[in-house]
Amino acid sequence: MKPVNAAMSSRQDQFEALVRGHSTDLYRYAYWLCGQEALAQDLVQDTFLRAWRALDRLREVSAVKAWLITILRREHARLFERKPMPSDDIDDLDLPDPQATPERSTEESRLRQAMASLEPKYREPLVLQVLGGFSCSEIAEQLGLGEAAVMTQLFRARQKLKGQLGLEDPLAEVSEL
Amino acid sequence: MNCLEFRRHLGSEPGSQRKEFVAHREACPGCSAAQLRADAFESRLLHALQVAAPANLADRILLAQTTQLRRGDLSRRRRFAAFTLAAAASILIAVVAVNRSVQPVPPLSAMVIEHLQEHVVHADDLVDSLPPERVMEAFAERGVKLGSVPAGVDYVHKCPAGPYRTVHMVMPEAEGPVTVVYVVDAPPAPGSSFRSGRNFGREVRMEQGSLVMIGPSDRHFDAIALSWHDALGNAVAEHDSRETHDAFAGALPHLQTVIRPDGAAGSIACTTCR
Repeated sequence: MKPVNAAMSSRQDQFEALVRGHSTDLYRYAYWLCGQEALAQDLVQDTFLRAWRALDRLREVSAVKAWLITILRREHARLFERKPMPSDDIDDLDLPDPQATPERSTEESRLRQAMASLEPKYREPLVLQVLGGFSCSEIAEQLGLGEAAVMTQLFRARQKLKGQLGLEDPLAEVSEL
Repeated sequence: MNCLEFRRHLGSEPGSQRKEFVAHREACPGCSAAQLRADAFESRLLHALQVAAPANLADRILLAQTTQLRRGDLSRRRRFAAFTLAAAASILIAVVAVNRSVQPVPPLSAMVIEHLQEHVVHADDLVDSLPPERVMEAFAERGVKLGSVPAGVDYVHKCPAGPYRTVHMVMPEAEGPVTVVYVVDAPPAPGSSFRSGRNFGREVRMEQGSLVMIGPSDRHFDAIALSWHDALGNAVAEHDSRETHDAFAGALPHLQTVIRPDGAAGSIACTTCR
């Protein structure tokens, strides 16, 4: 009965492209933020529903990923306010075992366990950098920190990971030079 | 940049393309090797962080979104309908209280008004000039075959008003939309004008049934009534015999009274009679 509304259709198309283009990355980020598959899925869904309502405010298409991450972090914070949960340690998270060779699977599994045991202040910037591809200044903006602080956290995060995996410390190596 | 600064930066941002970082790497074999080891580690780390997303995640999100949209729309419509109903009821009560002795609403029109309180037509439901076939179809389903359709019908629906069968329409006018309800099987009654709150109303006898018009102004009631008289009159002329016409003419002396604001007899001669 009602004629097709071109503006609405275009908005829906834009939203669908957004979901299809970013839902996987956002899920992975959410997963490493909360450590639970179901919760990560809910967070991503809530994030996109909020994004839909605020889609008209999105001005720069190039900044869409950072925009979605910001929404997701806020959603996570809201959830945490409503229902406090242990976030310092996500050791007991159900780590998926990808289809890979046993050697690789073991290596990945160890890396994931090590990652899960990192404190959130180290884990989050590292996930943003490695998975999100954000620069230190972009991460600093996301987390509301100084760039130098983010660089320190990233360095320590890698140091801790390598320490758990028994890999060499790059600075120790330098001191031996 | 020295080796220590390079290694610090490497640990923070292995993919950095800063000029001094790249320059040091190219000049220092030890740091170049460290960069290769760091790249290998980053690749393993990236692979480990890429946990599998649930199957059909995007589809699930889109389904949730469209479901919420529908719910939100429905809830908005319900809230609006409730508000409109409450407003209409208040207006009706006020009209009954204030104007009862002055301009009583005819019983048929009162039924129509009651129906309009239940059947709220939203702006979303209106379509600019519906195809005439849609209007003809609605009338045909009420047993009335129209010869033509007046221009500017934006909404049509078959509705009940009390025990009567009606065709409920909306016609846009400059002062606001006029609700036009054709009551197919209305009993014979003289036409009359009335007020309903801030709205004007007029009930007009047609060849078959009655036309009830309600709108923010009565300026266009004559024209609307005439156009429907023609549309309904043509239908009778085309599909009914002279005999049928005579029978109706005898029973419907107010055939042309429809154009008078007070519902009294009018001066337009019936073309079939002439």
